[in-house]
Amino acid sequence: MNHGLNEVIMIRNYIKSAYRSLKKNTGFTAINIMGLALGLAACLLIVFYVIDELSYDRYNEKAGRIYRVNEDLKLGENKLQYAVCMAPLAQTLKNDFPEVENAVRLKKAGSIHIKKGTEKIREDYIGFADPSVFDVFTLPVLFGDVKTALVEPNSIVLTESMAKKYFGKTDVVGESLLFDDRETMKVTGVIKDIPQQSHFRFDFLVSMSSLADSRSPEWLRSEYNTYVLFRKGADPKKLEAAFPQLLRKYSGGQMQSELKKSYDEFEKGGSYFRLNLIPLTDIHLHSKMIGELSAAGTVEYIYILSGIALFILIIACINFMNLSTARSSNRAREVGVRKVLGSARKNLIAQFLTESILVTFAATLIAMAIVVLVLPGFNVLAGKELSISLQSLKWIVPMLLMVALVVGALAGSYPAFFLSAFQPVSVLKGSLSAGFKSSRLRSFLVVFQFSISIFLIIGTLVVYQQLNYIQTKNLGYNRNQVLVINNSFEIGNGDKVKLLKQQIAALPGIENATMSGYLPTSQWRNMGIYYKDAVPDQSRAIFPQVWRVDADYIKTLGMQLVQGRNFSKDMPTDTASLIINEAAAKFLGFKNPVNQTLYHSKDYQTHGEVSPYKIIGVVKDFHFNSMRETIAPMMMVLGEDWGRVSARVSTANINNTLDQVKKVWSGISPDIKIDYSFMDAEFDAIYRSEQQIGQIFIVFTSLAIIIACLGLFGLAAYAAEQRTKEIGIRKVLGASVSTIVNLLSKDFLKLVLLAILISSPIAWYSMHRWLQNYAYRINIGWWVFAAAGIAGIVVALLTISFQSIKAALANPVKSLRSE
Amino acid sequence: MIKITDLEKFYRTEEVETIALNKLSIEVKTGEFVAIMGPSGCGKSTLLNIIGLLDDPDGGSYIFNDTEVAHFNERKRADLRKHNIGFVFQSFNLIDELTVFENVELPLIYTGVAAADRVKRVEEVLDKMQIMHRRNHYPQQLSGGQQQRVAIARAVVNKPKLILADEPTGNLDSSNGNEVMELLTDLNEQGTTIVMVTHSEHDARYSHRIIRLLDGHTVMENIMI
Ligand SMILES: Nc1ncnc2c1ncn2[C@@H]1O[C@H](COP(=O)(O)OP(=O)(O)OP(=O)(O)O)[C@@H](O)[C@H]1O
Ligand SMILES: [Mg+2]
Repeated sequence: MNHGLNEVIMIRNYIKSAYRSLKKNTGFTAINIMGLALGLAACLLIVFYVIDELSYDRYNEKAGRIYRVNEDLKLGENKLQYAVCMAPLAQTLKNDFPEVENAVRLKKAGSIHIKKGTEKIREDYIGFADPSVFDVFTLPVLFGDVKTALVEPNSIVLTESMAKKYFGKTDVVGESLLFDDRETMKVTGVIKDIPQQSHFRFDFLVSMSSLADSRSPEWLRSEYNTYVLFRKGADPKKLEAAFPQLLRKYSGGQMQSELKKSYDEFEKGGSYFRLNLIPLTDIHLHSKMIGELSAAGTVEYIYILSGIALFILIIACINFMNLSTARSSNRAREVGVRKVLGSARKNLIAQFLTESILVTFAATLIAMAIVVLVLPGFNVLAGKELSISLQSLKWIVPMLLMVALVVGALAGSYPAFFLSAFQPVSVLKGSLSAGFKSSRLRSFLVVFQFSISIFLIIGTLVVYQQLNYIQTKNLGYNRNQVLVINNSFEIGNGDKVKLLKQQIAALPGIENATMSGYLPTSQWRNMGIYYKDAVPDQSRAIFPQVWRVDADYIKTLGMQLVQGRNFSKDMPTDTASLIINEAAAKFLGFKNPVNQTLYHSKDYQTHGEVSPYKIIGVVKDFHFNSMRETIAPMMMVLGEDWGRVSARVSTANINNTLDQVKKVWSGISPDIKIDYSFMDAEFDAIYRSEQQIGQIFIVFTSLAIIIACLGLFGLAAYAAEQRTKEIGIRKVLGASVSTIVNLLSKDFLKLVLLAILISSPIAWYSMHRWLQNYAYRINIGWWVFAAAGIAGIVVALLTISFQSIKAALANPVKSLRSE
Repeated sequence: MIKITDLEKFYRTEEVETIALNKLSIEVKTGEFVAIMGPSGCGKSTLLNIIGLLDDPDGGSYIFNDTEVAHFNERKRADLRKHNIGFVFQSFNLIDELTVFENVELPLIYTGVAAADRVKRVEEVLDKMQIMHRRNHYPQQLSGGQQQRVAIARAVVNKPKLILADEPTGNLDSSNGNEVMELLTDLNEQGTTIVMVTHSEHDARYSHRIIRLLDGHTVMENIMI
């Protein structure tokens, strides 16, 4: 017979007998395939998520050569990190450094109303950009000329979807849009929508030349996100090394004239400002500075999720191997017989491997199907828009095939090489099966699996507790029942906003109202410069948060004064008064802060003049930053900031009150739509990503545990099967059902207990480390370990006892017959 | 001690219904040594299992020590069994993972004998069966004859009134087989009732009486002299 043909027949034969053997053990096969498929699917989902996070900004063809310039600033006691730089920096870098191929500045424009017919629509994603933006970033232009689009003032480039939104078509070059009822912007280009995985999102790019400030020669003020495109092969380190010299050269003069101080004196005072570079592709996950263009992802979650994915994959693979080897030991006799009948060793190896790989391939297919099915749900859970594209299939398919091959080969190789090596006589005599039954390897793997599972349970409990703690912690203010009008600043007239506040406060359903843009849940922040001494010493300057609030602020937000008094409208001197928080009191070192005086300097450029402020009260610390940070020193001054109007609503008939508030608003500002929200919802939004990650943890941890249990279920079934004869004998000798169940469960329970012992300290350490990220955190209680341990034991027991009880109830006569 | 009347046992599989025992009636008196013989598949083991309360009949009556036990539930049967009946099997049925000592100790554990007592009684029977020197060995390390002696030790350690043996010499050579038969005879002489299934006329000669089963129904009896 032809050799090749022979080969084909052999392989067909392997597949056929593999299929039969799998079919004969449907239960095992199903558990085996499902466990692996679930594991692979979970893993794939996480891989999608992680890849999405890691692929931020990589759509840029020149991503590897693009860096952003950041600024580190130290002024007095304060260290600040900015994602923005000085206006002239980009051009200077381009001029002075040959290795810089190009540079571009971006600047967020805030919200703008655009007129569409009679309607005014608020747009939030508007940015100024230099013309070079199209050279540095990869933003494919559909219509218009890349070179000139953003050169002239008042030109805009908009995205495809905005073009459709405002004009119903995409070819809109030459059209114009009216911004804020004032400025007519000429559309000079249409670009494709900026990819989701970008650290900036703009729907409209306005030419930088529209912004007069962009031509400012000032080197002491930083407001522009500045990106550098290096020439191929250039070393960014070299540019970084040249930064100090550059700053000295360009800012030295301005410092002398404005601060009356030389650059050296400035630095001797302990202050500095420095520039550094961050690779574009690191920004999304690693950069959390002042002036970022968007909220960053958290690299730590990426690590944790990747860890979980790896764990799940390991658990699933261990399952697979455990079940495969367990099952194959039942086939020792078959191997013996085959060998006696003349089967060569290599045929047996091929047989087992074929079987194993066939199963992993089936699992892979099912995993893919699961991913397709659950992806929409996962997107909701994770707040992403992941999809399987042809692009992603290009790596998913080979990756899965690799995993299938490797896992299949690994799982199959043990029985393949181990069993096939046996002398047929010893296999047939059965002297082998005893040793095989209590395989150390298998016990080790079970312990490993359960260690991971219990680790995950503990981890999830701690994460959940911490998130719950954040949700329920006393924040120092009352976020419930607070209505916030977010866009009162759009009215553009302080007196009108004051009127708005007064009219709202007078409504029957409103308890109090206050006018201030500074809220614990808002992004409005302001730093002031204060000194403890009347003669300012720059090195001793302090930079607390300074919020301009009115006399109703503390009452409306439910804050608490611990010392002194609130601002009063009737005290004219209160315009030079301060209410500080406890953290500020501590920072300042004041035992009795009330009646102490601080000296305020308008800004650090005009050091000479300071004005005294008297502390009249101390407000109990309240959280206005993330719980990850300690509460910073902050001060309130009496002033009129019309950024927002907030009102405490009484619980009765909120909807009615809301209608009345809207009526008041449209009476004062008929053109602009009111934008309101409730403070507790705002608060939740701040922690949404943490909530999401918490939920993701819970889902995947449950999955990991389910998969581990699936494996345990299979192993327990196998163990019970292995011991049917023994169980029969014991029953004949008088053992009761509970004795048998005990006997069968004991071994596994021992392993689970060992797993608890191993994983608890590791989990404690890891979670302790994680909690260090939070300035305000829970203590890990011993009950967490107890709960995780008990959960592990209960789940394992339930899994095992099903099999054990089944085995214990079987009629012993049957098992003893099968000799 | 045993009075069986019109005993029936059926086995139903998907295709066929086998009548293993068909209106069988036999009686065994206390202190007797009875051998059951008959062709393969005639229902000997089935009968022994029912006598041993391992299986329940589908019809008829079984009176054990003046008690009707045919309708006993599993729990009651197990209770009666562990205090009164010892088993010896053709394939020894020792537990591979336990030592000789532990195997023999097992019935005592299940009947709740105190630990100190157990050691004494296990050592006593191991001594009697002359395998004391092997007490810490595992079954695989013993010869067939030794294994069957351990099995007998295990069967008698609880001092049962009845010993049921299903082809106890089936896996043994003739000298080991004779040794086992001597042991059973000794036990019988000390007052234990013995019911033994065997294919060997030679072994059957150790008994007082042979019950011959033909097709789960017909019974012929030989009285041995
Ligand atoms: N669990 C069972 N299911 C179906 N049929 C059974 C079962 N147990 C026994 N039988 C049938 O009942 C009949 C009696 O079986 P039994 O084991 O009692 O025979 P035996 O006399 O002990 O035979 P041997 O001398 O070969 O041991 C046989 O025909 C057997 O096939
Ligand atoms: Mg039989």
